[in-house]
Amino acid sequence: MELVFWLNGSEARAEEVPGHWSLLELLRDRFGLLGTKQGCGVGECGACSVLLEGQVVNSCLTPAWRAHGRRVTTIEGLAAGGRPHPLQEAFVAAGAVQCGFCTPGMIMAASDLLAHNPDPDQEQVAGALAGNLCRCTGYHDVVRAVRKAARQMVEDGS
Amino acid sequence: MSLGSSLQRVGAMARAQGETRFGADLGKPGDLFLACVRAESAPARIRAIDLAPALAIDGVVRVFTADDIPGSNRLGIIAVSKDHEFLARQVVRQPYQAVALVAAETAAAALAGARAVRLELTPLPGVYHPAEALAEGAPLVHPQREAGNLLASRHIVKGDVTAALAESAVVVEAIYTTSRLEHAALEPEGGRAEYIDGRVVVWASTQNPHYDQADLALFLGVEPEQVRVVQAETGGGFGGKLDLSVQPFLALAAWHLRRPVRLVYSRQESMAATAKRHPFVMRYTTGADERGRITAVKADLLADTGAYASYGLAVTMRAAVHATGPYLVPNLEVTCRMAYTHTQFCGAMRGFGVPQVALAHEGQVDALARRLSLDPLEIRLVNALGPGQATATGQVLGSSVGLRACLEKIGPIYREWQKRPPAQGRWRSGLGLGTMFYGIGNTGVSNPAGAALEWRPDGRLILYTGAAEIGQGSDTILTQLAAQRLGVDPGLIDLCRGDTDRTTSAGATSASRQTYISGNAVLNAAENLETLVLDAAAEMLDAPRQDLRLAGDLVTGAPGGEVPVRQVVRRLSRDRGPVKASGRFDPDFTALDPDTGQGRPYATYAFGAQCARVRVDTDSGMVQVREVAAAHDVGRAVNRRAVLGQITGGVVMGLGMALMEEYEPGAGDNLHSYHMPTAADAPRITPMIVQEPEDSGPYGAKGVGEPALIPTAPAVAAAVGDALGRPMRHLPINLERVMAALTPERE
Ligand code: FES
Ligand code: FES
Repeated sequence: MELVFWLNGSEARAEEVPGHWSLLELLRDRFGLLGTKQGCGVGECGACSVLLEGQVVNSCLTPAWRAHGRRVTTIEGLAAGGRPHPLQEAFVAAGAVQCGFCTPGMIMAASDLLAHNPDPDQEQVAGALAGNLCRCTGYHDVVRAVRKAARQMVEDGS
Repeated sequence: MSLGSSLQRVGAMARAQGETRFGADLGKPGDLFLACVRAESAPARIRAIDLAPALAIDGVVRVFTADDIPGSNRLGIIAVSKDHEFLARQVVRQPYQAVALVAAETAAAALAGARAVRLELTPLPGVYHPAEALAEGAPLVHPQREAGNLLASRHIVKGDVTAALAESAVVVEAIYTTSRLEHAALEPEGGRAEYIDGRVVVWASTQNPHYDQADLALFLGVEPEQVRVVQAETGGGFGGKLDLSVQPFLALAAWHLRRPVRLVYSRQESMAATAKRHPFVMRYTTGADERGRITAVKADLLADTGAYASYGLAVTMRAAVHATGPYLVPNLEVTCRMAYTHTQFCGAMRGFGVPQVALAHEGQVDALARRLSLDPLEIRLVNALGPGQATATGQVLGSSVGLRACLEKIGPIYREWQKRPPAQGRWRSGLGLGTMFYGIGNTGVSNPAGAALEWRPDGRLILYTGAAEIGQGSDTILTQLAAQRLGVDPGLIDLCRGDTDRTTSAGATSASRQTYISGNAVLNAAENLETLVLDAAAEMLDAPRQDLRLAGDLVTGAPGGEVPVRQVVRRLSRDRGPVKASGRFDPDFTALDPDTGQGRPYATYAFGAQCARVRVDTDSGMVQVREVAAAHDVGRAVNRRAVLGQITGGVVMGLGMALMEEYEPGAGDNLHSYHMPTAADAPRITPMIVQEPEDSGPYGAKGVGEPALIPTAPAVAAAVGDALGRPMRHLPINLERVMAALTPERE
């Protein structure tokens, strides 16, 4: 099949996409967007989180065809105006990145949360990220980072 | 400047932006794809392997079996116990063992090929529990072994246990068990290999590139120089990436086919085919006087190594050495045995057997406290090892012994919690404590690390280290140490890491050893680099050598005034080539006596204490860990943020061990069945750093990677026991165990 969609703000076209492909395969294997990770391939870890029409999805479970005509945002598309996204800055500053394998997915899930809830409390952040496993950080610094980024974004008016 | 601060983690922004390339991200067009053919049940005899149906599939290039291995098919980290067959020959010893390897032009063809290979297996009688395995007449996992199914046995004795127990005011006895655990690093094992000019180059996620190189050379039957291993960025390890995983398959295929190949484990494969944490059964008898001072400990430990030895010898030894905990115990007798079974092999996992024994030594201390009506915190303070006191192996501790300080740090929090009103209604609340100590580095053996530093003519430096960064932070720590020693900005230092062509061995990233051992090697390299530069400066400036000093990017003390280091380096590199100095460090130790286990197995120990507050839902059996306070003596925190992150990560992993994690061979090879903590399970954590500087450590530092996990499960188990009014001695404390504890007659 042929897919046309918006990928990180630009029009993207993919020809001869196998019908069984997941969005994760499309992103990684066709577009070389390797920032989206595969931790399980079956919807259990969140490492493959991306935004589809602004909503976080597990790209490993999402059929590639669902991207057709829609907007897809990956970790590579989050930075704007040459500056890292406030979430990326906050993750780095708060020590929320250890091995970093979960990080892109965490940040995408967090960006979805902040789009709907600009000032989440601790429990809301933990709840929103409960589908994103991290084996390194114990989540402590991840939650701190998300709340820090939320405050920053409110300040920046973004 | 650099030291102690929370310098941003090296490479963190690249990770946050998705630019970091892990083992699965290294593929290039033209690569062949590999897939393993695995036997689902074990033990079994291989009657036949029919490759023809696989070879008939379009795109399949070749299928390898054990017969294609040019060198040794017996690999493993410990030289005397190499027994891991990467492609089973004749017999399958553990479920999901690889039997053949398919190489194909596409991933789909490789998978189809793997499914098409026909295995004819005859089931063999198996043995699945270590006690059964050691019984007379048990089926043998490795029939040629003289010791049968007994992999290892370690004995530590001191004083007279029998007499001391007889004279003790109280004696408590109990059995504790822990389960088989999966590391579940978020990144499944992956990598790529190429054949280049008569050599194989392997890029893979690993915790020990130099070991990989040596064993791959054995596997291929070539010289180590013919194999180059480069550590790919590695997404967590926790011990699970110490054993070889994808590397032998990559190397074998690249070697035979002379083409680039790649292989990434699926999560299922990652869970089924790599090492686990050893399950332990531990019988303890502990005596104390009426004031709660421990008089004697008798401990009998039995562990399951599964089908292969992996790190079993090291875990047996370390578990024995740490079995009596961070307490002064005058009389003791510890026996630790480890047996082979036909189950998934066990290896190193964060703590090497110490998290297991901690459940028991802490449970025993709590049992003594109950019998003597003593406060749990008090009894720990009474028994805590201090400077100048001897461990179970007779090692007299030096000055860096921070257990008491850790207990004092969590003490006020624990006391505050004690004042809280108990939970109401269907909820019950409880508190628990856990302590730990942990010898830094390998047990009673030499385990050196090398490192090198190069000053470039442009003023930047390169730090060469074989130490694998797996998320624990060694890149950052080693950079900070080098910067501190040379007085330069850490931003001037570039890293060359984990490449067997360009770095010397630093040993494994395990045993919490890299800060202490590689850290010291880096300081040694920095010192040698300084000497090199100052010697040259003395010559260049015709100045007395002893007057010269390095001060940041200047050489000071010459009669003519300061000279930029860069000027010296340029001159030196023009005249003599790269301005590079190497360093080395091997911790001070003595081997343990084979009979009594006495000796000084480690140069230094880390200490820690944690307390946990839980509530238990008596309707469902659900345990909620509300809060954990964790104090750890790290000697000196080279990077505060990194230490705190290790502590919070360790606590949550420990909580998984305490409450939910249990690997069931075959049944649970996915993250759905294998429960590990999510953000919603994480309690409020108060991580605290205690600094009792270690004289032999780099600026006083020790290590914290594994220690952070160790006290959590004992503290949580004690808290649940406190809530339920009966001790919880078997992990994980899942819903069934809680419900059983609530209805005592059922157990
Ligand atoms: S890879 Fe998609 S949820 Fe794990
Ligand atoms: S940082 Fe390693 S899995 Fe989250």
